[in-house]
Amino acid sequence: MEMLLTGLCLSVFGVAIAAVAFGAATRSSRSSDATVQPQLPLVKAAIPARFFSDRAVASPTVPAVPTSQVPIEVLLLQIENHIRMEQAAAEVFIASPTQARLRSKTASPFVN
Amino acid sequence: MAHELLNGLSSPEAKQVLALGTKLIVPSGTSLFRLGEPADRLFLTERGRIRLTLPMQVRGREEDVFVEERSPGQTVGWSALIPPYRFTLTATASLHEAEVLALPREALLGYFAANPAAGYKIALNLAVVMGHRLQLFQTMWVREMQRTLEVRSA
Repeated sequence: MEMLLTGLCLSVFGVAIAAVAFGAATRSSRSSDATVQPQLPLVKAAIPARFFSDRAVASPTVPAVPTSQVPIEVLLLQIENHIRMEQAAAEVFIASPTQARLRSKTASPFVN
Repeated sequence: MAHELLNGLSSPEAKQVLALGTKLIVPSGTSLFRLGEPADRLFLTERGRIRLTLPMQVRGREEDVFVEERSPGQTVGWSALIPPYRFTLTATASLHEAEVLALPREALLGYFAANPAAGYKIALNLAVVMGHRLQLFQTMWVREMQRTLEVRSA
C-alpha cells in the first residue's frame, strides 16, 4: 500500500513538473516572438511550395536572404582574385596600350 | 639575386649598396610595416613574397584588402625616399616567411651623395618602379570607372 501511494505521489509530482516545464517553454517562445525582429524585405519564394505539381500554388512570402551572406573570407578572396585579374589586364594594357584593352573583360566573378 | 633597384650598377657598386642593409626575416603573416608608420627604410625582397594591402570597410569591419604582391628582387617601401616619408600601404609576409634587406634612408642618401653616378642609376630604377605602379593603378582606375559607367548607363 505504501509503495502504491509513493508511486502515485511520484507520478503526480512528475506530471506537475512536466506541466510547469511546458508552460515555461511556451511562454518563452511567445515572449521571443514579441521581441523586435529586424525588418527584412519580403520577396516571393523562389522555390514552389510543392514539387512535381503543375497546379498554380499561391506563392508564400519569405524573408529575403541578402546576397551578402557569402562568408567574409570568401568575399575577401573574391576581391583579391578580382584585383589580381585586373592587374594582369592592366599589365597587358601597359605592355601594349590600346583603347580596347582598357575595356577588356576579365573572368572575375566579382563583377560578372 | 638581381634586384630591380640595382639594375645597371657595377658589381662593386651593387655590393656597396647591399652592404648598407640589414637582413630581416619576416615570419608568415607578420607585418613588415603598416600604413601611416614613419618610413625610414627601403626593403629589397630576397626570399618569399610580401603582400601589400590597404584597409577597407567590408561589412562594417576593417579588413586588409590585397593590393599587390612583391617577389624576390622587387622593391618594397619606397615611401622611405619620398616625402612625407610615411608608408601608404601595409606590407605583410605571405604564406611563407620572407627575407628582406632593409636599407636605411640616411645610409642610402649618404651613399648617393658620395657616389652620384650610382645614385643617379638607383634613382632612375626607383622611377621605373614608381612609374610602373602609377601606370598600373591608373589603368585599373580607368577600367573600374569604365565599368561603373557601363553599369550606370545600362
